[in-house]
Amino acid sequence: MVKEQRAQSTKQFYLALVAIAVIGALLIWRTAGKANSRVVAVDVKATPAQAEGYLMGNPDAPVQIMEFADFECPACGQFATITEPDVRKRIVEAGLASYRFFDFPLTEIHKNTLAASNAAACASDQGKFWEMHDQLYQHQPAWSTEATTDPKKFFERYAGQIGLDVSTWSKCYDDERHLQRIMSNRAEGERRNVRQTPTFIIGTKMIPGSLPYDMIRAYVDTAAAQVARGAATADSGAKGGQ
Amino acid sequence: MLIALLALVGAFVALYLTLYKFGVIGVLSCNIGSCESVNTSKWATFLGLPVAAWGLGTYIVILALALAGLQGVAPRETAWLTALITGWGVLFSTWLTYLELFVIHAICMWCVISATLMLLLFVTSVLDLRRELREG
Repeated sequence: MVKEQRAQSTKQFYLALVAIAVIGALLIWRTAGKANSRVVAVDVKATPAQAEGYLMGNPDAPVQIMEFADFECPACGQFATITEPDVRKRIVEAGLASYRFFDFPLTEIHKNTLAASNAAACASDQGKFWEMHDQLYQHQPAWSTEATTDPKKFFERYAGQIGLDVSTWSKCYDDERHLQRIMSNRAEGERRNVRQTPTFIIGTKMIPGSLPYDMIRAYVDTAAAQVARGAATADSGAKGGQ
Repeated sequence: MLIALLALVGAFVALYLTLYKFGVIGVLSCNIGSCESVNTSKWATFLGLPVAAWGLGTYIVILALALAGLQGVAPRETAWLTALITGWGVLFSTWLTYLELFVIHAICMWCVISATLMLLLFVTSVLDLRRELREG
């Protein structure tokens, strides 16, 4: 009887030992396999993401204004809420210039700025980049690094307010689908030696720091005159050649 | 018997951490604490080998001794050896836990699990040894 019991418990012991071995091996195999599954084949011919920024206005306008800005930078916020509405109305909508916004997230000092660029890029998927851009700048103090460590709940509210399909937006946001696009916008600024935010490039001039409306208008007019002169010279050159 | 089961579990925990250390597993799954900062600290290596690898070796030796003891191979000697090794294991784990708490200032969930297993192993092996000495 005792012998039988002992045999029984020995059997149970070996079963338990095998069970632990199998479960442990499976767990290890799964986690190690997961690490390997991160290595995927890439398309070697794929071109790197192009830094296109976000366009407002007519792309064929005679002058192009480029702005390199960080969503969390206070000077950019001031510019976007005070000056930019004028620029939009009286320069871009009037057809004098097109406007391109480039993310220049200063991730070293602004913990939530990349998240904001991400939120805006995902709004851009649904054609509402500028609406999200405006919300982000108008409510900058609410979601900035000092205010919160979880900015998404704010961005989600803005997404609803500007009429985005929030679940699609949210998935895009969580997937960080446009990270490469954002970083290539920043890289474009670095390539052009942008050192602070905001920085503007109007025509052939790069102007660091925030600008009042009148100065932007002056730079646009100068650039437009240069373009007109250039066209005239090219015309006369063509005529002279005949 | 309990010793063999515990040692096998411990071996898998140590294997997991060793594989991480050798770069086979990219990221540690660590719900509590900060496994990465502990396992990448300078204390995670001992005599040129990852601490986790020493742990893995120790658990395997304990498992082998336990299985040998169960087969009736020199039960008294294996009981003594197991108690000594697990005792050493407890001392070493205590030292590591002290480092986590007061030097690295980060706790590693898997290391705590291993330390707990080692403590249980030690207690069980001492009880085994006592029984062995009494019966023998």
